[in-house]
Amino acid sequence: MSVSVGTAPQPTDDAAHRRPKIVTSKQRVAWASLVLLVLVVAGFLWGVSIGSQHISLSHLPGAIFKADDSDELILQSIRMPRVVLALCVGAALAVAGALMQAVAANPLAAPEIMGVNAGAVFVVVLAITVVPSLSGAPTILLSFGGAAAAGVSVMLLAGSGRGRVSPVRLALAGVTASSLLISLTQVLIIFDENSTDSVLFWLVGGVNFAGWQDVRNLLPWLVLGLLGAFAMARPLNLLALGDDMARGLGQNVERTRMLGSVLVIVLCGAAVSVAGPVAFIGLIVPHIMRRVVGSSYTVLLPLCAAGGGVLVLYADIVSRYVKPPFEVPAGVVTALLGAPIFVYLARRQKVSS
Amino acid sequence: MTSTSIVAQHVRRTSLAKRHPAVLMGSLGALAVLLSIYSLKVGATQVSFGNVLHALVGDKSDQAAAIVFDFQLPRVLLCWLIGTALAVSGAVMQGVIRNPLAAPDIVGVTKGAGFGGMLLLLAIPGVPVVAVVPAAFTGGLAAAALVYLLAYRRGATPVRIALVGIAVSAAFEAGIRFLLVRKPLDVSAALIWLTGSLFGRSMSAVLETLPWVLVLVPLIVVWARKLDVLGLGDDLAAGLGEPVEKTRRLLLLFAVALAAAAVAVAGTIGFVGLIAPHMARRVFGGKHLASIPAAALFGVLLMLFADMIGRGLAPPLEIPAGLVTAVVGGPYFLYLLVKTGK
Repeated sequence: MSVSVGTAPQPTDDAAHRRPKIVTSKQRVAWASLVLLVLVVAGFLWGVSIGSQHISLSHLPGAIFKADDSDELILQSIRMPRVVLALCVGAALAVAGALMQAVAANPLAAPEIMGVNAGAVFVVVLAITVVPSLSGAPTILLSFGGAAAAGVSVMLLAGSGRGRVSPVRLALAGVTASSLLISLTQVLIIFDENSTDSVLFWLVGGVNFAGWQDVRNLLPWLVLGLLGAFAMARPLNLLALGDDMARGLGQNVERTRMLGSVLVIVLCGAAVSVAGPVAFIGLIVPHIMRRVVGSSYTVLLPLCAAGGGVLVLYADIVSRYVKPPFEVPAGVVTALLGAPIFVYLARRQKVSS
Repeated sequence: MTSTSIVAQHVRRTSLAKRHPAVLMGSLGALAVLLSIYSLKVGATQVSFGNVLHALVGDKSDQAAAIVFDFQLPRVLLCWLIGTALAVSGAVMQGVIRNPLAAPDIVGVTKGAGFGGMLLLLAIPGVPVVAVVPAAFTGGLAAAALVYLLAYRRGATPVRIALVGIAVSAAFEAGIRFLLVRKPLDVSAALIWLTGSLFGRSMSAVLETLPWVLVLVPLIVVWARKLDVLGLGDDLAAGLGEPVEKTRRLLLLFAVALAAAAVAVAGTIGFVGLIAPHMARRVFGGKHLASIPAAALFGVLLMLFADMIGRGLAPPLEIPAGLVTAVVGGPYFLYLLVKTGK
């Protein structure tokens, strides 16, 4: 099965010297980085100023340092954590998606398609139903467990667990497992009458109720996951050449897959436990970024992190404009954005299983 | 790999069903009737069997009879109508698309109809349920057409239909949630409608669904042979004098209409249209004249079972029947997927 999407990695003569060179244009990378940086800064300023009450940006410096009046307090305690969390969650999910597509050698692999997010949500909601006071670190660990269990089950159901699963079977198995887990989650929510406020949050995903505590809970795992992923860029590039080639170049393919999967679980589990299952980020961001900067993971992973953050941040901003004061969860916006891209990817499938 | 090989594996085991389909079909029907009568007494308010029988036989004066007639009976009747509609719709789609994975859920009808219904309900508050059915119908049809068009690229392969269906369903699902938040009624009540429930449905809901089932299902049964002919492949079917494309589109239209009518009344009940036809084919073989009525009976049994579990597991809490069918149907679908892949 071909794994190439967008620009295919080109093994050149250098490959023989265990350093496969992947053609990427430095200029495009520079432009993409610049655009993303501008989008992050603009999104931050836009995101903190709008909401049920518009707040002038002149309050921003005050909010960062002392928070004297009510405007500055709103900025500091409500708007800023929300924007920061959107960036963090997007980065985590997008990088997880890129890792997953590399590890599974499958263009339709993504945390939300493979049931990983739904698994994390189910276990967290189950735990909260049993122990209502649960929050913070234990929730995240449980979320890891749910994500891992769901991901592994779907991989096994779709075929052998060795990365040779057809995209279609993976998608069908994953989406069905997701809908099953979401149904079970809904059953739990029906039983737990106190949870109706956060129903949409757990079913759709969003950063509506974000606080600094959420950011603090997510941050260590995010840093760990991102650094781990960036460190794996070279092995992942080798993996993209195909298992045989990667082995021939001295790569421990199984270990790379295992490490990559663990990082996916860490990133998704942590993101989902604080923000719910924000749809399609892990699927669409890596595909868009690959189009723009090529498929070298050295540049792809950092740009995916920035791109995912930007996407969730702007989805959240759009969600606030829909009908204030009622807010559409960001997950709805990303699902509406992601569906056409999924259709595009599905149309490209030549498989006829 | 198609369903025929699954069927083939079971020929020996099911030879009785093949030789005497009427006997087994009759037993299934009897089972459904018995389950219906039993389910009349399940629910938040327990009614004794004596009272149920009493009410059925004629005495409609006391409170128990009121519960049976106003709350329980409409639900049981709806289980029959909706189970039949979804299962027959799925059987036709699987026959026409010639793919065991085709079903109203997969081609987007369920979510599209849910979206259409919600849109009208929110646009015109207090609109009578009569008007919701055409709205849901339009939504379901639009979604199915969209899936077909988007999947079409030098022909629409079943696999692309399935994948595009997933995406279109996700978009309509997002649309439904968007509508929910724009008009935040009672969120949990709306969610229960969306997951598919027969809670609080009255006789008028029965009358909404009845004409669709009464008209379309017999029509489809009469056309069962056309489905068999289509199953031979386009060339052979055309050779036998069947206007293939026309028949296919008409049958698909009927299937979409049935599914949309069911969703309009009961919300998005998943997986019944997928698994009931499978069970029917496994037991009764691939001939549609037998497998379609059988699918309807399996659909009815599934709905009765799901609604009963929903009512009886933790009264007075209601678990929507759609959640039960998803919890049962999801694993079955995965099992099919594993099986067809070998």
